[in-house]
Amino acid sequence: MFRLNLKIALRNLWKNKTSSFINVIGLAIGLAACLMLLLYVTYEWNFDKQAKEAANVYTTMTNIEGDNRKISGTFEGSVTAFGPAIKAALPEVMYTARMDYGKENLIANGTNAFKCKSKFAETDIFKMYDYEFIQGSAKTALNNPNSILLTESTAKLLFGSTDVLNKVVRFKDKYDLNITAVIRDQAENSSNRFDYLMPWSFYESIDESAKSINWGNYSYITLFRLKENADLAAVNQKIMAVIKNNTRNDFQTQALFPLSKLHLYGKFEDGKSIGGAIEQIYLFVGLAFGILLIACINFMNMATAKSEKRAKEVGIKKTIGANRTSLIIQFLTESMVLTFIAVVIAIALLELSLPAFNHLLNINLGISYFNAASWTGILAIVLATGLIAGSYPAFYLSSFNPVQTLKRKIGSKGQWSVSLRQVLVVGQFCFAIILIVATLVIYRQIQYIKNRPVGFDINALVEIPQDGQLKGKYELFKNELLQSGAVSAMFQSSVSLSHHGSNFMDVAWEGMTKPTNTVLFNQVATTYDFIKTNGIKLTDGRDFSKNFASDSVGVLVSASAVKVFGYKNAVGKTMSAFGDKYHIIGVFDDYVWDSPYKSNNPMVVFFDPGRTGYITMRLNETNSLQSNIETITKITKGINPAFPVEVKFLNNLYLEKYNAEKTLGILSNLFGGLAIFVSCLGLFGLVAYSAEQRTKEFGVRKVLGASVANLMQLLSLSFLKMIAVAIVIAIPVSYYAMGKWLIKFEFHTDISWWIMPVAAVGTLLMALITVSFQAYKTAKANPVDALKYE
Amino acid sequence: MIKIEKLEKVYKTEEVETTALNGIDLYVKEGEFVSIMGPSGCGKSTLLNVMGLLDKPESGSYKFIDTELLTLNDRERSNFRKRNMGFVFQNFNLIDELTVFENIELPLIYNKVPATERKKLVNEIIERMNIVNRSGHFPQQLSGGQQQRVAVARALVTKPKLVLADEPTGNLDSSHGNEVMELLCELNETGTTIVMVTHSSHDASFSNRIINLKDGHVISEKVNKSRNEELI
Ligand SMILES: Nc1ncnc2c1ncn2[C@@H]1O[C@H](COP(=O)(O)OP(=O)(O)OP(=O)(O)O)[C@@H](O)[C@H]1O
Ligand SMILES: [Mg+2]
Repeated sequence: MFRLNLKIALRNLWKNKTSSFINVIGLAIGLAACLMLLLYVTYEWNFDKQAKEAANVYTTMTNIEGDNRKISGTFEGSVTAFGPAIKAALPEVMYTARMDYGKENLIANGTNAFKCKSKFAETDIFKMYDYEFIQGSAKTALNNPNSILLTESTAKLLFGSTDVLNKVVRFKDKYDLNITAVIRDQAENSSNRFDYLMPWSFYESIDESAKSINWGNYSYITLFRLKENADLAAVNQKIMAVIKNNTRNDFQTQALFPLSKLHLYGKFEDGKSIGGAIEQIYLFVGLAFGILLIACINFMNMATAKSEKRAKEVGIKKTIGANRTSLIIQFLTESMVLTFIAVVIAIALLELSLPAFNHLLNINLGISYFNAASWTGILAIVLATGLIAGSYPAFYLSSFNPVQTLKRKIGSKGQWSVSLRQVLVVGQFCFAIILIVATLVIYRQIQYIKNRPVGFDINALVEIPQDGQLKGKYELFKNELLQSGAVSAMFQSSVSLSHHGSNFMDVAWEGMTKPTNTVLFNQVATTYDFIKTNGIKLTDGRDFSKNFASDSVGVLVSASAVKVFGYKNAVGKTMSAFGDKYHIIGVFDDYVWDSPYKSNNPMVVFFDPGRTGYITMRLNETNSLQSNIETITKITKGINPAFPVEVKFLNNLYLEKYNAEKTLGILSNLFGGLAIFVSCLGLFGLVAYSAEQRTKEFGVRKVLGASVANLMQLLSLSFLKMIAVAIVIAIPVSYYAMGKWLIKFEFHTDISWWIMPVAAVGTLLMALITVSFQAYKTAKANPVDALKYE
Repeated sequence: MIKIEKLEKVYKTEEVETTALNGIDLYVKEGEFVSIMGPSGCGKSTLLNVMGLLDKPESGSYKFIDTELLTLNDRERSNFRKRNMGFVFQNFNLIDELTVFENIELPLIYNKVPATERKKLVNEIIERMNIVNRSGHFPQQLSGGQQQRVAVARALVTKPKLVLADEPTGNLDSSHGNEVMELLCELNETGTTIVMVTHSSHDASFSNRIINLKDGHVISEKVNKSRNEELI
C-alpha cells in the first residue's frame, strides 16, 4: 500500500517535472536560508552563555550623570575599589574578579614576537568561566605574580605546540613570565576573550592606577558571581548604599547587569537596558521564518493546485474500496516525502554555502552550533510544513463524495470569490515587496552615512601604535621619517584619530552660569603638527607651534566646544580643565572620530608630550604607496626592533565603523533577494502548473483561432492582478515601517520618491518575466500535441 | 438479491431542484444481467451510483440480500462496497500514474489480499482479458478498447457479487464494444450479477431483462426471452 502510494507520488512528481522540481527546490532554498539565519541567530543568542554558571555572572555598569541629575549614558566599567567593597558587604556575592579591558600587547618566545590580546584578571575569573585546561589547572594558574596562561592557539603560535608548561615568554619586551596553564580557545561568541591571561597581582606591580584602590578611575571591568536566585534589584539597592558610604558626594551610580545579556541588550537609556542587538536578532528571526513561510506557501499552493487533478484519483480509489483514512495517510505521506527530500537538499545547500557566508560576515559558524534542542525545533518545522502542505488535499479531498470528484471540476467558484491560494500569493508578494523596499532603504542609509564627510582627507593617512622605544625616541623617529621623504608630516597623540570617547566633564569656562559642567567632553593629547598632518579644517587661530613656548598651556577646541562655552571669538579666551587654566589658540571644525551615526561630543586637544599612544603620519604622495610603507617599516624596525610593525590605514579604520550596519546590509540584501527569488519560483511553479493543466483548453482555443498574445494574456492576467494587489498593500506598509526605522538615526536619508515605484515596477517586471516565460512556451506549443494530451 | 423500494434522490443547486430519482422500485435476482435504459437525464447514472453506494438517496430502501444498506455509515458503506461490488465507467477512470498491472492490483490491496496471491489473481485476469503484453503500460498508452478491458479487469479481480457498469461501451467502436459485452456475458455466466446502464439496444440485447426509466420513474420492464432461453 505504502509502496504503491509512494509510486503514485513519485510518478506524479515526475509527470509535472518543472513544477515539482521548482516546488522541492524552492522549499529547500527557503529551508536552507532559514537554517542559515537561525544559525546566525543561535550564535548571537548564545553569546556569553557557554559557562555552566553563566546565568549567575554579572558585570558592573556605570551611569554617567548629565544635566539635572539625569543619566546621560551607561557603560561597562568600574573602579578598583568596587569589587572588594561589594564582596565584603553583600552576602549574595560568591566571587568577584577585576580585570582590564584587554589590549593588543607584545608577547614573545625569544625572537618569535607577536601582538596578541592580553588580559589581566583576578583568579576568581575561573569561577565564572569554564575554561578547558589542556595544561595546568585553575587552582594553580594565576597564583604567582609572574605566571601567565595561554590559549591553545597562542601557544601554537609562539611554540608550535601546547606542551609548554613552565616555559618562559616575554611580555612587552620587558617582563619574563612563566607559563602555568594552557586552555582551549574560548568560544567566539563570548566577550572578555583573550589570547593570554595574566594575574591581577602582576598588573598591580606594573601599573600604579591598578594598584591604588580608588573610587574615581573607571577603567576596569568588575565581574561578580552571585548566589543562585539572588534578587538583582535588591543587590543593586545595597550596592548604592555601599557607594554612598564610601564616597564623598553624589557619585556616579553603578549597578550589576547580567553578563549574558550585555551583548544583546547593551543599549541603555536613563540607566536601564532598552534593547540593542536583540532588535536585529528579532528582525533576523522574522526574516528566517518569513522566507520559510514563503517557501511553505509555494508548497501548499502547489499541493492545492494539484489537488484539483488529484480529485479524480480520489474518486476512483474510493469507488474501488479506499476509505478516508487510507487516503489521508496517502496524501500526508506524499507531502512528508517531499518535505524530507527538501530537507536533505537544504542541509546540503547549507553546508555548501556556509564557508561563503562565514567569509562574508567574517565569523565562523558551523552546523555544530545547533544543539539537540535546535534539531528538534528544525524537525518540528519540517513536520509542520509537510503536515500543513499535505493537510488540504488530505482532509479536504478525501472528504468528497466519489461521484462528485469523478465528474471533475470540484468547487468551481464564481469570478469574484477569492481562493485561499490567491490570498497566499498576495501575502507572499507583499512580504517580498516590503523586503525590496527595506533592502533599498537600508542600502541607501548605509551609503548616506558612508558618504558623510569625515571632516578631513583620510586617504593618505596611516597610523602605528606608539610602543616600546617609539615613546622615548619619538623625536629621532620623526626626524628619520621626515628625512626619508616617505612621510610629509606626523604627530603623536594619546588616542587614534578614530577612537571611542575619552571622556571627561571637569571643565569650566569664562562666564559659565552653571555651578558645574554637565556636558561630556572628549579629550586628545598631542604635540606639534596635529592640524598640519591630519588636515582638519582650522576655522580660527593656529596649530601648536615651537615658536610659542606658552603653547604648553594652549588648547585647540572643536566648534561644538565653542558653542558650549558660548564664546564669540574663542581664540585668546581661556578655559580650565582638571583645575588648570588653558588658553584657546585655535578652533577646528568637528570631525567624525567615534560613531559616524551620531554627532560626537565637543572636543578639547591638549598639548602633552607625556601622553603617548599612537603616531599618525601623512604619506608623501609623490612616492609610491609601497615604497613609503617599506621605508616606514624599515625605520620603525630600526628604532623599535622588539615590536612587530603594524601600519594601519585610516580609511580602513573608518570602514570598520560601518561593520554592524554592514552585517545588516549584507543579510538584508542576501535574504531579501532570496525571499524574492523563492516567491518568483512559486509563481513560476503555479503558472507552469496552470499551463500544464490547461494544455488541452489552449489547444482547442488555438484551433479556433486564438493568437499567441491572446493566450499569454489569458494565462498571465490573473497572476499579475494578484501582484498588483500585493503592491497596493505593501507600499504603504513598507513606507511606514522604513520611516520608523530611519528616524532612529540622528543622520539619515529620506525615503526617496523613486524607491516605491522602483520596488513596485521591479516586482511587477519580475513577475511578468516569470509568468510570460511559461505562458509563451505554452501558447507556442503545437495545438495537435495539446489535443492529444489526455 | 437486490430489492429497492421508493428510492428518491433530489439534487439541489442554487437555481433549481432536480428530482433525479422519483420513487423507484426495483429488484435484481442473483445471477441476473439487467440493463437500464432511458433518455438522457432520466436518472440512470444516479440510480447506478446509489446502487453502488457512491451516492446517498433522500429516502427509500435498498436491501442487498436482506441487509438494509442505506442506514450504513460511511465506513461500513466503503467496506461493503469493496467486498461486494465492481465498477465499470464509460470514461474508464483508470489512474494515470499507475500501470495496467498496478491499476488492476489496487482493489486487491484495499481488500488486504496478500501480495503473492494478488500477483496470481492479477496475472490470471490479465491473461483472461488478453492484455498480457500490456501489463507494464500506462493507461495513456492504450487504445480506448484496451483501457475499458483493463477497467473491466479491475472490476472483476475481487470477484464481486455485483458489477455495476455505466455505459461501458459508450466510448468504444462497435467491435471493441462487442468485446466488452462478451466479457460481461462471460462474467455473468460464471454467476456474477450485473447491472448495466446503456443507450444501445444492441448492448441491451445481451441482458436478461431491460428496465426503462423516464424522469426518475421505472416506466416499463421487458424480459429478454432469447437470452433467458439461452441461459436455461
Ligand atoms: N451533481 C448534480 N447536481 C445537480 N443535478 C444533477 C447532478 N447530477 C445529475 N443531476 C441531474 O439529475 C438528473 C439525472 O442525471 P443522470 O446523470 O442520472 O442522468 P442519466 O440518465 O445518466 O443521463 P445520461 O444518459 O445523459 O448519462 C439530470 O437531470 C441531471 O441534470
Ligand atoms: Mg449517465
